[in-house]
Amino acid sequence: MSSVCVENVWKSYGRQTVLERISFTVEQKSFIALVGPSGCGKSTFLRMLLGDEAPSKGRILIDGEPLMAEPSPDRGVVFQKYSVFPHLTCLQNVMLGLELAAAPRLGILLGRRRREAKDISRAMLGNVGLGAAENKYPSELSGGMQQRLAIAQALVKKPKLLLLDEPFGALDPGIRAGVHETLLELWHETGMTVFMVTHDLSEAFKLGTRVIAFDRRHTRPEEMEAYGATITFDLPVYHPVPKPPEIIPVFAEELDEKAVRYKAAV
Amino acid sequence: MRRLINQYPSVLNRLLLAVLPFALVFLAYAVASEARLADNPADKLLPAWATIQAAIIRMGFVPDMRTGDFLLYVDTMASLERLAIGVAFATVIGGIIGILQGLIPYVRAMMVNFTSVVSMIPPLAILPILFITFGLGELSKVVLITFGILPYIVRDLAQRTEEIPHEQIIKAQTLGASTWQIILRVVLPQMLPRLIDSVRLSLGSAWLYLIAAEAIAAENGLGYRIFLMRRYLAMDVILPYVFWITFLAFTLDFILRFTQRSLFRWMYRGQA
Amino acid sequence: MKILPKFAIAALAALALVTSVPAQAAPKKDFKVAWSIYVGWMPWGYAADNGIVKKWADKYGINIEVVQFNDYIESINQYTAGSLDGVLSTNMDALAIPSVGGVDTTALIVGDYSNGNDAIILKDKKSLADIKGQKVNLVELSVSHYTLARALETVGMSEKDVTVVNTSDADMEAAWKTSDVTAMVTWNPMVASIMQDSRANSVFDSSALPGEIQDLLVVNTDTLNDNPEFGKAMVGIWFETLALMQSGTPEAKAARESMAKASGTDLAGFEGQLKTTKMFWTPAEMVAFTDGDLVPAMDKVRNFLFTHGLLGNNAASADVVGIEFSDGKIIGDKSNVKFRFTDKYMKLAADGKL
Repeated sequence: MSSVCVENVWKSYGRQTVLERISFTVEQKSFIALVGPSGCGKSTFLRMLLGDEAPSKGRILIDGEPLMAEPSPDRGVVFQKYSVFPHLTCLQNVMLGLELAAAPRLGILLGRRRREAKDISRAMLGNVGLGAAENKYPSELSGGMQQRLAIAQALVKKPKLLLLDEPFGALDPGIRAGVHETLLELWHETGMTVFMVTHDLSEAFKLGTRVIAFDRRHTRPEEMEAYGATITFDLPVYHPVPKPPEIIPVFAEELDEKAVRYKAAV
Repeated sequence: MRRLINQYPSVLNRLLLAVLPFALVFLAYAVASEARLADNPADKLLPAWATIQAAIIRMGFVPDMRTGDFLLYVDTMASLERLAIGVAFATVIGGIIGILQGLIPYVRAMMVNFTSVVSMIPPLAILPILFITFGLGELSKVVLITFGILPYIVRDLAQRTEEIPHEQIIKAQTLGASTWQIILRVVLPQMLPRLIDSVRLSLGSAWLYLIAAEAIAAENGLGYRIFLMRRYLAMDVILPYVFWITFLAFTLDFILRFTQRSLFRWMYRGQA
Repeated sequence: MKILPKFAIAALAALALVTSVPAQAAPKKDFKVAWSIYVGWMPWGYAADNGIVKKWADKYGINIEVVQFNDYIESINQYTAGSLDGVLSTNMDALAIPSVGGVDTTALIVGDYSNGNDAIILKDKKSLADIKGQKVNLVELSVSHYTLARALETVGMSEKDVTVVNTSDADMEAAWKTSDVTAMVTWNPMVASIMQDSRANSVFDSSALPGEIQDLLVVNTDTLNDNPEFGKAMVGIWFETLALMQSGTPEAKAARESMAKASGTDLAGFEGQLKTTKMFWTPAEMVAFTDGDLVPAMDKVRNFLFTHGLLGNNAASADVVGIEFSDGKIIGDKSNVKFRFTDKYMKLAADGKL
């Protein structure tokens, strides 16, 4: 439930300008889809929101406060790959965020508090349709299930912002649809602000309440260094509030499991 | 006819081919030994199987005339103890430095050149320094083993740590992890199996340094015995000791591999 | 495709080529002898470098190669394996390695015996009895070990009263400098160097064991019997070199200086080591020693070897290897004589018949 204010942000690496003059404001509970051709800096922008990189000029405010200069628990993230920890089971992956906060020294909870963390995490796994997979390791999951796990792991921290960097780019279309439904449902429940980078326009318009496109205005070779990409269009998208049927997460999970079996058979 | 690279041996032939090099070595030994013994029945260079067998019984199953100990047992225990302590130190120190160097930019800036330079020092070249600094006792042997394999472990672990996807480190931070918690919950658990791999690959060198150290000054140990027996060309003792060392090395490797597989199932699940 | 049987046959054929039969003893022209650094053996290096070896080899119409080995034991092992015709060795090592290994070996030249070159050195302690309970660094199973065993007998102790730590001879001097080394048995030139330390006290040395630690040129008995010229040439080389050293001429000084340098010391150091070495400078002295009673010395040596398990697996007693002396007397197994003393060639030198 947070607003984001981007004020004249520039980003350059050495003499190479990547982004310039990025300014926009996002009200709380938005679902922003960032689109653009590859190399246009949309992922760089997401990393700045994340705090992994700092703007060269300008600033980003969340609820009026300047962004922390390093990643923090108020911003959850899901990458296309490597978002979950391979050495932890699904349940442990989701619990990790709770344990780190509650046990600063060892990062491990014991006894009653561990049981509580487990209950919360199990519920979260259920929300993303992974209830039956809590003791599996990520390497045993399909791509779609891994991304569901990554979402659950991020959301258990109740972040103000959820940042998604091409989260569904590696998924098969059928599986992708199922994860979309889950994501939308969770977004409606939590009311957090979502930023999603995607190169898939239909995905952007399907999920986003607002689609922002980055592109370079100057594309002659001699201009490429001096000018970066900036916002080329910024479109609000209106769609009726979807009412996802209860069956969908289960269905999606089934679909995922079919994909796993299929892969194993091949 | 198909190309050679596309021809595969049958199951039986594969087995025969696997056995062949071993069989040839044994056969070559038997023939050469026979020829030398026909010329000189007391030849020490290539003793007959019976002589070797007698030496095995003497070293392994009959108490020594002077000390009353079973020499093979005493030597094995002494060597394994040195090896274990040396490798354990290298593992712990190497694991800590390697992870810190791989994860923390300040440590990397300080250590990366230092470890590459140190890893270029041939450990055997500093053996005399070790002996003068740490004496001729157990300490210098253990230090030689530790020092010998430490640079490799540090560099390997640092590299493995750097190979952890940056996304994971970011993700851990978005889950609120401090640097210490990232080490404890994200990096260390993923590096432990890598560390075991690293130790496995270092064991060959560790044996080398152990035997070199024992050759120079020792009261017991597998390398000590080999070099002592070399003085009297007692190949009947040296050959079984070499086999025994090979067997021990093989067993240690197997134990480490087994430990890794059973403790870190997450690495192997779902990859069939 | 049944290529495997063919492959196996080819491999066996290759194997047959690799496995050659050891050379048989027979008259031959080329001989190879190895020496290593030791005060009493330095004349060999000088003789090889200054044409004395070639002169005598030419005289008898043969070729003799005198090579230096950096590793004493390796040279004896090579001799035992059959790739050398002769080697410079102590009586103890010659008995324990080639003779026990079935290589019939003759002491052609009895060059000297250690008369103080091997010493037991204690740190800060002044008497041999103080060695009790200490760790003693030495080359195990070498003449140092023998010296220790004999020394302990003289004060009513045995090896059980000390702990022997096998230490490489190359590291003795460095080892002495470390604090955990308190007792050491070693030989010259290490003894001389270690004794410069004010804390070092020599509590026993081989001058108490006269004639027991002999430094020999040993040769393969069969080779010698088939090629007496080889024996004559070697004895000729030896005494010509010794005579040169003793001549008192500028050449003598130059020769001694070159030997000193080759052994890594200076003239004074080399002369000092010669003082603790009982050299047999003339053929007559050598014959007198060789024909004297060597039985007690060899008996002690073989008993040491037996109690340390160096006479082989199946040795029931020290008698397992026969030792023949120059008068034909044999101790040990008469049917298995593998170590022999002979005065035949040194007598030719004494009589001027070379």
